[in-house]
Amino acid sequence: MSANVENRLHELESVTRSYARYSRSAGGMSSVLGGVLCLIAYLGGPLLPGTPLARAALIAIPAVWLLAKGWMMRHYYQRMGHVEEWETPLERRVHCFCVAVTLVVAVTITASIGMAARRHAWSLPVGMLGYLTLVWLLVVAAWRWLRSPLDFIVGTFLFCQAALISAGGFYPLIGTTHTQQGMLMSLVALMFPLAALALIARGVAEHRQFHELRLRLEQLRGAPAGEP
Amino acid sequence: MSTPSRLGEVMALDRLVHEPARLLILAVLSGAKEVEFGFLEQMSGLSKGNLSSHMSKLEAGGLIEVRKSFRGKRPLTELCITPAGRRALAAYRQQLAAVMQELPDPAASTKRR
Repeated sequence: MSANVENRLHELESVTRSYARYSRSAGGMSSVLGGVLCLIAYLGGPLLPGTPLARAALIAIPAVWLLAKGWMMRHYYQRMGHVEEWETPLERRVHCFCVAVTLVVAVTITASIGMAARRHAWSLPVGMLGYLTLVWLLVVAAWRWLRSPLDFIVGTFLFCQAALISAGGFYPLIGTTHTQQGMLMSLVALMFPLAALALIARGVAEHRQFHELRLRLEQLRGAPAGEP
Repeated sequence: MSTPSRLGEVMALDRLVHEPARLLILAVLSGAKEVEFGFLEQMSGLSKGNLSSHMSKLEAGGLIEVRKSFRGKRPLTELCITPAGRRALAAYRQQLAAVMQELPDPAASTKRR
């Protein structure tokens, strides 16, 4: 009897812990979507025509991803009710570090743009205002939604690409530029599609795990409460 | 171990935790930082009223925390286990395991007869 009770308690705790992962560290199909959108943004920036519609679509990608992420969590992965995952001290520190990095970058960019704008009677082009807005939105997104390292890398790229596109630029593809700065930028940007592929693979695995979890939940749900 | 002391150990089990529905609530809450009422309701299979009554007892005992708010116009109840609740659950599991280990196996005694 004791072993049965112990097993049942352990199973309840473990199932809740697995379910709670989908509130924070696991995204399932939303991770797959994030990876696919990252590849679209990476290739779309340099390859799509620079029409206003294409640019607007590329700028909207981070918002689309974050909204889809929240929607899938609430209406698919956690439709039985929201359960918040525990954050380990290491995860908390990593997350704080990531947010701090985005904050420092945002402050630095704002200060440098501010100093440049001061010399031109504070007149900033509209694209530059969009750029600054997206840089600051990245800080908020990193704090609120980009909880895992892969989410953070992909999310940061989506926001940076959107910010560059709003200012009239984009991350170049490798081999398409010959200036030293362009080559360096394209090399750095190469890590983003790789992270996107890793995020897609992780999302597929998490989605499969969710199906197994759903079966375990079905078995546990509504079992007599008198036999925990 | 003598029967009276065994009985003493059984009687020493934390009654607040020992009740099956409350044990289930604590076990579910120990797996997460915060749990919405709806999830607990579905996992336990208890009625809203029954679940609320057990929640109140656990809250009064300081084993869980209940937060009530609104999401839009819908009331939202979230629960989390307190450090005291976590300790009580761990202690209960240890006590129960010890008690069960000491009790004679009824199947074995039937065979002997």
